[in-house]
Amino acid sequence: MRRLFYLVREAWANMRTNRLTTIVAILTTAFTLTCVGIFLLIYVNLQHAAGWLQEDVKIMVYLEDRLSRDGRLQLELMLKSDHMVGSVLYISKEQALTEFRTQFPADSHLLEGLGENPLPASFVVTLAQNSRSPEAIKEWVEQVQTMGGVAKVDYNQQWISLLAELISYIELAALGVGILLSAAAVTIIGNTIRLALFARREEIEILRSIGATGTFIRVPYFLEGAALGACGSALSLGILKVGFELFRQQVEFISRFSEMEGLISFFPLSACLALVLAGTALGFTGSVVSLLRVGEGRV
Amino acid sequence: MDAMIQLIHVSKWYDRRPALSDVMIEIEKGEFVLLMGPSGSGKSTILRMLIGEEQPDEGQLFVQGKNVTKLKRSEIPYLRRKVGSVFQDFRLLPKKSVFDNVALPLIVQGVSEKDIRRKVTEALRAVGVEHKRDQSPSSLSTGEQQRACIARAIVNGPVVLLADEPTGNLDPELTGEIIELFKLINARGTTVVVATHNHHVMHQVNCRVISLMQGVVLPERAMPERVVV
Repeated sequence: MRRLFYLVREAWANMRTNRLTTIVAILTTAFTLTCVGIFLLIYVNLQHAAGWLQEDVKIMVYLEDRLSRDGRLQLELMLKSDHMVGSVLYISKEQALTEFRTQFPADSHLLEGLGENPLPASFVVTLAQNSRSPEAIKEWVEQVQTMGGVAKVDYNQQWISLLAELISYIELAALGVGILLSAAAVTIIGNTIRLALFARREEIEILRSIGATGTFIRVPYFLEGAALGACGSALSLGILKVGFELFRQQVEFISRFSEMEGLISFFPLSACLALVLAGTALGFTGSVVSLLRVGEGRV
Repeated sequence: MDAMIQLIHVSKWYDRRPALSDVMIEIEKGEFVLLMGPSGSGKSTILRMLIGEEQPDEGQLFVQGKNVTKLKRSEIPYLRRKVGSVFQDFRLLPKKSVFDNVALPLIVQGVSEKDIRRKVTEALRAVGVEHKRDQSPSSLSTGEQQRACIARAIVNGPVVLLADEPTGNLDPELTGEIIELFKLINARGTTVVVATHNHHVMHQVNCRVISLMQGVVLPERAMPERVVV
């Protein structure tokens, strides 16, 4: 018990003795992890948005004007019996016109000059949960397009593909920046530990001479590295949270984006814990790198 | 008598300059031995080898029958727990109290809290600085600092006590007190090896003297009497 207490106390004493280097290490670690965190936050939110858009994929199956009532019912039955289809909603020509007038009241006069209602009847199709991948949607659309009575099939494929591509780029950038900055954090913490070792070299010498094992000598420095990493990552989470809240306020302020406000979110608690753990692991790695040859019996 | 320390044909070079040349030494269990010689004669090299801090280039060293030259790195700390070391510069941790300094070898070994309190108190009492237990080493006189250093070296009951110029920083009166302390420790059964260049020490203790000169052991002088306490 006293041994454990001693090791923890030594780690704390190390940090207090080298206060300035400790603070610098925590701040630089926090800064590097904040940079990684920004990428992660963008990535997580875009993933979230992509998922939401994917959920909301509505496929418009426009019908030919000459399609009879029976033909339309038959087509509706075929669509409803398809295992890939979740729901089918029929929008008649009249309903389409009413909706247009409701959504675009200022432009409704445009249609009046045309005399007859130019808007086609359509089916609004939502695919089943397990059939919403871009490939599945594309395949299904191609198949429906060949059906009799179908004039055109429309959906926001381009937008979804673009978003998927953007996410993959951000994923790649986050990975690259993450690796680079993690290496920087490991180096910074490693150097801090090296400074602490230098400051306490006489003490280490004494510990060796009285029979302390390499592990006994190293443990306080491992703890110090891990603590620096944990503090740095916790601070970076704080910085990210403040930055995120400021961004959200800004979004709220611009009223036309008010609907977006609910879409953006901060890391869930589990991700926050994972980030702190990752910071701790980085700090620990930094001290391991510095301590590879310390504490061995023969110098 | 059992041999506690054996050096068999030990040689060591530093930059092709011989520090020890074919040294043969045998120290018996419970013996008090002085390693005498001027600076650079190889006394400290022998002591460093005995705690595994250095390796000989030739020959073999045994401590309590264990071949030190064959020990793995991970085994060296366990050797050092059996061999107490006293240094000329005391090597006490300035930010810790005298009690904490002396307790260090026991903490390292994972001794229980209760035993640490008992053993440290006994060691401090044995060297006569029990009343200074809560003070920092810097507030102690040089003689008291050396006593605290000796307490740390004996607190875990080592089989051998090695002292490298332990009286180098002390005046003749304090030197006498420290030598008396070593005699007491030796009387309790611990093998004591003191390396010194101070000839006054030789006159204060009735024991075997091993003289070194430029890394060579000189033929044993006819001392008043070889004693094994």
